[in-house]
Amino acid sequence: MPALTVDALEVRFPGLDTPALAIPRLDIEAGARIGLTGPSGSGKTTLINLITGLERARAGRLIWDGTDIARLSEGRRDRWRAANVGLVMQDFHLFDGLSARDNVLLPLRLSRLALPAGAGEEADRLLARVGIERRDQKVETLSRGQKQRVAVARALIARPGILVADEPTASLDAEAGAVVAALLLALAAEAGATLIVASHDPRLIERLDRVIRLEAGRITASEG
Amino acid sequence: MFRLVAADLRRNALGALAIVLIVAFATALGVAVTLQERALRLGSARAAAAFPVIVGAAGSETQLMLSAVFLQPAPLGLVPGKVLASLATDPRVAWAAPVGFGDFVEDYPIVGTTQALIDGLGGLREGKSFARLGEAVVGAGVALRPGDRFHPLHGQASSGGHMHGETTYEVVGRLAPTGTPWDRAVLVPIEAVWRTHGMEAHADGDEHNHDAAEAAGGAQAEDGKAENGKAEDGKAGDAHDHAGSAVDPEAALDAARATAADAPGVPAIVVKPRSIADAYKLRQDWRTDTTLALFPAEVLTRLYATLGDARRVLSAVALGAQALVAAAILLVILLHVGQRRRQIGALRAFGAPRLAVFAVVWMEGFALLGLGLATGVGLGYAAARAIAARLEAQSGVALPVLFAPDDLTPLMVLAGATAVLAMVPALLAYRQSPAAALRG
Repeated sequence: MPALTVDALEVRFPGLDTPALAIPRLDIEAGARIGLTGPSGSGKTTLINLITGLERARAGRLIWDGTDIARLSEGRRDRWRAANVGLVMQDFHLFDGLSARDNVLLPLRLSRLALPAGAGEEADRLLARVGIERRDQKVETLSRGQKQRVAVARALIARPGILVADEPTASLDAEAGAVVAALLLALAAEAGATLIVASHDPRLIERLDRVIRLEAGRITASEG
Repeated sequence: MFRLVAADLRRNALGALAIVLIVAFATALGVAVTLQERALRLGSARAAAAFPVIVGAAGSETQLMLSAVFLQPAPLGLVPGKVLASLATDPRVAWAAPVGFGDFVEDYPIVGTTQALIDGLGGLREGKSFARLGEAVVGAGVALRPGDRFHPLHGQASSGGHMHGETTYEVVGRLAPTGTPWDRAVLVPIEAVWRTHGMEAHADGDEHNHDAAEAAGGAQAEDGKAENGKAEDGKAGDAHDHAGSAVDPEAALDAARATAADAPGVPAIVVKPRSIADAYKLRQDWRTDTTLALFPAEVLTRLYATLGDARRVLSAVALGAQALVAAAILLVILLHVGQRRRQIGALRAFGAPRLAVFAVVWMEGFALLGLGLATGVGLGYAAARAIAARLEAQSGVALPVLFAPDDLTPLMVLAGATAVLAMVPALLAYRQSPAAALRG
């Protein structure tokens, strides 16, 4: 259950005078459930990419439980992310042609030579938990709501301490979105993971412990 | 990882198939050229191997070789009967046999010769050898059976020859297969050919000689010109004087007559020397102003040198085609990787190490190209076999289509190049930033 400390983080794009993202200080306690909101272009995705190590911070520090991921090389960041972060994205990013179960197991299969003991059972348990009954069904034949639930199961397969979701309900209808939102909250709690959700969805945001609002790359409100 | 690769390829099955086919055709082109050229070379070399030394009248070496070994009809000058007589008694000679042609039955060449050549070609598979003037032995590939009777045709039916209606042969035996054009030949006693064309022994006088040269040479060869290997118009026969007397089919053969010093001339003599040293001495002895001696294998080698240039050109064309295909494939793969930026980015985002992403993309590329390569080798082999089969049916030359150990090197190089080529998209995928790929 890692905690995050952001210190003097700044992202600049060439040709722009003002930084696209500037966060002098942000603390997220271990096991917190954080909402990240703000208008389009406010820097939400940039911040998500930085705290998950998908992009490297050139200025400032991003310390997860003592590890400053801004200092890690690309390969080490990949490994750190594989071990610590579960990601859920707006567009699911499932792999067509593979079954739901194989999609859930894919991150493990790709990051090591052999599946760790019990991984298959864990995948089955997670799929049952998110309500996917036909585990061998090809993902392209699932509904959008089902796809996002498979993606949630995949995010948790490596037992990450950090669960990050980027607009997880934005491409779903209200009903499916509500199911996915509930699952994210419940599973993060069950896994004891720190949850960070970037979203416009008020029904999701209002259920989180704390909401950080970004505008033009600055934190304008942090409440909860 | 393999499942992901397999699922990816299945999803793009049609595109993948197209790539495999393009690579396969390009590879097949090169493979077929190599195999076919080798088949021609080996096949003709084997055909020539049965004929260590050929002696003929002075003229074109290549033509003499093509006529004696490959039974290609051509006007040849005659060597006098005393040459055969001398060779037959030469201690350096294991056997020597005349080869007299000019007549056909259907499109099979009729070759006048002696028992020595039948033995030299590997003997009979069925029936018996000719013992009378009117008997014939057919090659393994001739569509005549023992008991069949036929009239020889002077010249080929397709080029307006005329029938020697007065002569009839009966098939009495069949040769064992040799894999040479001789499988399509009909062998008759040389004396019968002489008689059919009015070239009895003791023939003297200009008119007779004229006729003789014309007949045995397979075309009208004027007396004087025959010596230079020149001939008028190869069209047989309109002015042909039917001096030939009907062959008495019951007349028994006298082996000594064919090799008598005063026997009529023949266009070519096959000589089997006792040793290699003898072969060289014989060739030297019979390279005179009026006669020509040659090793068919050597003449073939010279032909191959010409053929080799042609092969180099073909190989270059095939190589160019392959390079073109490689470039086209590279383009396709690059486009494909571009389209898959998001997928590749997602793989990284979900924890796949860069090396795994590299491996996935590389394996997909290599699987396609490798499959195309393997298919192409098979396809090229099949094509070479098909071409060889057609040529075999036409010429009788057995064309062995086979891979040599040397083929392994270019194939390995090609496989290596494929592996390197597949690395290009893999490297691009490797270098892609996952965040940028997900955004795109």
